[in-house]
Amino acid sequence: MTDAAAIHDRFRERGFIVDEAFATALQIMLALEKPLLIEGPAGVGKTESAKVLAEVLATELIRLQCYEGLDAMAALYEWNYPRQMLHARLSETDGSSLDEREAYMFSERFLLKRPLLDAITRDRSPVLLIDEVDRADEAFEAFLLEVLAEWQVTIPELGTIRAQHKPHVILTSNRTRELSDALRRRCLFVWLPYPALDVEIEILHARVPGLSDRLAQQIARLMQVLRGLPLQKAPGVAESLDWALALMSLHRDHLDAATLEQTLGCVLKVHEDRGVMHAHHAELAPILGHVPDTLESGGYSLDTDFGFGSVSAPRR
Amino acid sequence: MMYPFATLPENLAAFCEALRRRHGFHIGPGELHDAARALDVVDLASERAVRNALRPILGGTLDDVRVFDTAFTQFFFPDPAALRRDETIATRREPAADAGGDIDAERARHTPPSTADADEASALGGGPMTPIASTGDQSKEAALVATSSYSPLEAETSDAPELPRIDQGWRDAARLFVRRLHLGLSRRWSPGSRGRRFDFRRTLRAGLQTGGEMLSPRWLRRPRRAPRIVLLVDGSRSMSAYARTTLTIAVALASATMRLEVFTFSTGLQRATNDVRRAAAGEQRRLDRLNHAWAGGTTIGACLRDFLKRFGERMVGRDTVVMIASDGLDVGVPDLLRDAMRELHRRSAAVVWLNPLLETEGYEPTAVGMSAARPFISTFTSITDRAGLARMSRLVRLRS
Repeated sequence: MTDAAAIHDRFRERGFIVDEAFATALQIMLALEKPLLIEGPAGVGKTESAKVLAEVLATELIRLQCYEGLDAMAALYEWNYPRQMLHARLSETDGSSLDEREAYMFSERFLLKRPLLDAITRDRSPVLLIDEVDRADEAFEAFLLEVLAEWQVTIPELGTIRAQHKPHVILTSNRTRELSDALRRRCLFVWLPYPALDVEIEILHARVPGLSDRLAQQIARLMQVLRGLPLQKAPGVAESLDWALALMSLHRDHLDAATLEQTLGCVLKVHEDRGVMHAHHAELAPILGHVPDTLESGGYSLDTDFGFGSVSAPRR
Repeated sequence: MMYPFATLPENLAAFCEALRRRHGFHIGPGELHDAARALDVVDLASERAVRNALRPILGGTLDDVRVFDTAFTQFFFPDPAALRRDETIATRREPAADAGGDIDAERARHTPPSTADADEASALGGGPMTPIASTGDQSKEAALVATSSYSPLEAETSDAPELPRIDQGWRDAARLFVRRLHLGLSRRWSPGSRGRRFDFRRTLRAGLQTGGEMLSPRWLRRPRRAPRIVLLVDGSRSMSAYARTTLTIAVALASATMRLEVFTFSTGLQRATNDVRRAAAGEQRRLDRLNHAWAGGTTIGACLRDFLKRFGERMVGRDTVVMIASDGLDVGVPDLLRDAMRELHRRSAAVVWLNPLLETEGYEPTAVGMSAARPFISTFTSITDRAGLARMSRLVRLRS
């Protein structure tokens, strides 16, 4: 895994298409041992990229999902209090000194490791995914900075634990809030946009085996148009994949206006967006080609349009 | 390739310096060091590999990333042909990226005129206010920069307003206002002398001092949610008599809270947060680079839409109080204003509209713009002095 091309290939084997810029960023991240901050619209594969990276590196993925109210204790460690209490009661009469008992009670035996501590105490570097870091509050971000910079954690009762193997860290953000400059400076930064048309078709084929080329083309082209409309919630790649699977399970081999209407719930998740889409019907119409009814699913002729998705097959 | 310097480290350092000075990148020695290490890893013969390797290290935000490629080309390939090619790339990409990350040129076509063109000018090496480098080494480059820095908006920036200084009274009023914005409790737990949840950890530790008996229980409570304020200042000519008061409010609020964003708008939108913050810290400061965002007509709807598209996701949430200071004399499409106001209302804790015309006797908010916005305003008032600011905190109705 030394150059971008190798990363691209290894990701591709696992059905994840990375472009050159992103592959290089991953390469730099691995070489420099720095955290990588990935921003981008929802559903472009930010979280997925961390999962695939863990697979590619054949290491474990440790995930810290951020949410409002997440604090250091939930992210780092917690003492197993009920067990400590029980132990305190049971060892009252065993004759050991107070110091001995205290030392034992605050030993690793009673420590519950949360994701961050877990990640720095592994024998091999795991991939640490800090997901949706923008959902946590500023106080947590400041705390995270310390961990990301020093790779050590101080537990008052135990002392300082230093990472033997630095984890590969991926942070994702959906930009629901501005992240601090300090956090950005600790990280490498990558913006993951919606994929281009040909890349999206490639992704569809890679993730949904058996999808006809025509359908892949239609889905990808419709998505490109939809993302250009002033929607409240533009569909991401995740939606494309869901949609492709839905259409496959309905045994559709092409998209027409009726099918689009039936399966719209896979694509548009806000009610008002339907109205917006209908208002721009003219832009969608050329993609929703009319295919004669005689050609059913699996028909060879649908796959032989040589990439021209809207060319209709000859009527028989 | 034409390099300004002979050795790689020198070139890299000069490039970082250019990014820092001309495009406002935050690059320190740490980043420079990382960049040098990254160049060890990638194939130096491939221009694209170098580009792709430096971009994640030197750029920290989407704005940086957008400017980076142009700056890279301009620095390492400063021949006019290359520059021209890049210019077309920039014009195609930048406004699209502005649309809150939905990279699509289609979408950009629907966007109202924004400050993207100004950003672009600075991306190409100098908006009207950017100092043009004229050191010996870079004279050729500077000449190129000068040709591309022409801006038809230059004339409008001359009457940029100066940010007023504020006295202690204003500061106190703003602090009172911020403190009185009650948003309810946060989801977080923090230690407190009284609270709703038992703090096992601290109780157990305290118990050690009393021989393992937990005599003094400790508690966790939920702290208050801190409000976030977005202030949108109408800078159009019709508001000029009121501009000083509005800017005073902005500076006063900046002195009371860090969780404030300030924008000015007229026919375009401009972020002014940094200037206002520095003014609050006592610096004498003029709002510069305002372009369309000062002393023009008013298209409130388009500007609010632009704001929502570019900053809405990050800045407007359940904790946000949106304050709009405007007379509501809109020359734009009322539907646009209505939709933008509906979205602001839906996503924020409260929308406060400060209208100076309310001070005028007999004023009725019946202008087309005002009546379109009215249903989505939580608090409709005006502020003329610091007592008004303090008083307003009682008027703001927050959705919890």
